[in-house]
Amino acid sequence: MPAHLHSSVRPSRRTLLIGCLAVPLSVIRCSRRPTPDEPRVVDLSIESDGDFLAFRPDELTCPGGALVMLTFHHRGKFLSARHNWVLVRPGQLEPVDKDVEHNEGIIPRDDPRVIAWTPMCDKGGMVMTRFTAPAPGDYPFFCSTPGHGECMQGVLHVTT
Amino acid sequence: MQRLSTTFAVLASMGAILALAAPARAQQLKAPDDIKMTLRLLVQVSNDFKRQITARNFTRVPHEFMEYTEAADAVRSAMSGESADLKAKVETRLKAAVAAYQKVSDMSAKETDVDKLMAEHAKAVTAMNALFDVFPAALRPDPNLPPPGRGRGRG
Repeated sequence: MPAHLHSSVRPSRRTLLIGCLAVPLSVIRCSRRPTPDEPRVVDLSIESDGDFLAFRPDELTCPGGALVMLTFHHRGKFLSARHNWVLVRPGQLEPVDKDVEHNEGIIPRDDPRVIAWTPMCDKGGMVMTRFTAPAPGDYPFFCSTPGHGECMQGVLHVTT
Repeated sequence: MQRLSTTFAVLASMGAILALAAPARAQQLKAPDDIKMTLRLLVQVSNDFKRQITARNFTRVPHEFMEYTEAADAVRSAMSGESADLKAKVETRLKAAVAAYQKVSDMSAKETDVDKLMAEHAKAVTAMNALFDVFPAALRPDPNLPPPGRGRGRG
């Protein structure tokens, strides 16, 4: 067998050494607890009540400062209505809902009243958003599709 | 003679039982839960019409009409296993309700008087209620019932 072929198949000593170290190091990295400075990661999931204008569940909980990964699933089957999930500061649900009413419910990027939002989602679809949980308190969320916010809303309880 | 009257009494009782059972049998639907759910969808979209009109968001009204036709199709789908007689009765009233909501939608393209649009919407609700009358009371949605969401229709 030609030498160049032989060397391309056989791993070098350095490759073997790196490989041997990589496995235990990656295990240590995975099992490592986050330091007090690192935000806790929390996965939340929420869905529409089929085609009805309601969130299921309509209450969510997470600790303050956590890195929240939220997934919204549009469980509708029949109606073409689009939904999203918008988290706002206390007392801002109705003003934000009213402001986006004539704009197809599109949330402007720089609205300080809005903490987080997902894009609009078609029936059967799933969308995600990632945000840092605000200070402890109760924060309202709603669907900003015009006319939906009146019924399709809930509360995120941020704990200490 | 006594035998004859006994036979007559038995036959009469059987006839009465059958006569009473007939409407009950007609009300035994194959998919009552699906039908109930799709009828509730019609009410939900009808309420959305109302919200868009009162908010003067007239450009959204045709979109609500599209959803109404989708909800009507959902009713048809839920009715697929039912008797031809009942399906025909439902179809006639469903078409009338859809036509009434289309009138509201068409009107919203030019009319900006909320009262006039709401008056037309009230007519459409009457047409929708006529559809609900075809079904047993347990399946009929209450048009005044708040939606399932947490907000339950503020304002």
